[in-house]
Amino acid sequence: MSHFSTVKTQLRKKEFLKQALIDLGYVPQEGENLVRGYRGQTVKAEMTVEMKQGGDIGFRFNEGTKSYELVTDLDLWKQSIPVERFLAQLTQRYALNTILESTTKEGFQVSEQKRNIDGSIELVVTRWDP
Amino acid sequence: MAQRTLRFKIRQDGRVEETVEGLVGDGCIELTEKLEAALGTVEQRKTTSEAFLRKEVQKQIIPAEIH
Repeated sequence: MSHFSTVKTQLRKKEFLKQALIDLGYVPQEGENLVRGYRGQTVKAEMTVEMKQGGDIGFRFNEGTKSYELVTDLDLWKQSIPVERFLAQLTQRYALNTILESTTKEGFQVSEQKRNIDGSIELVVTRWDP
Repeated sequence: MAQRTLRFKIRQDGRVEETVEGLVGDGCIELTEKLEAALGTVEQRKTTSEAFLRKEVQKQIIPAEIH
């Protein structure tokens, strides 16, 4: 039946996480890599972004929540936006890519896509069924 | 021919509001379940007025882990 859902997006699929990072202008690397933090300390992560400035950014899969989590040394955060804003942007991009890919696979076509003044993205997809 | 429409509003914090139009019966749930599984946790789901126009009684199971 027709319905209305609200979904709290989690970074679950590696390929969409990677694409979201690329869309935001980062160069992600897959595979077990080290995230560099304060005084050369490191942690392992499954997806990493080497940063020219500040500490690296990594993503580790949390078996409990079945989603990827950010791992970085917050004391070394030198990006132009705060970490919360970075995660929000990444999650929004991830959600958009996931929706586009999944609905296209199901035969839907995008009939409208726009960005609102409040920063939200509106997307309408349609399909004709016999 | 019937038109199926999915409307999404992806908020700045990544939360997604999804509205499904034109789908009758469980097909609508099936279609979006896959999508919701890839996206994350469903916080809220309610049927639109359209759902009440149908004769047959519909049942839907909402996963217990909703929070």
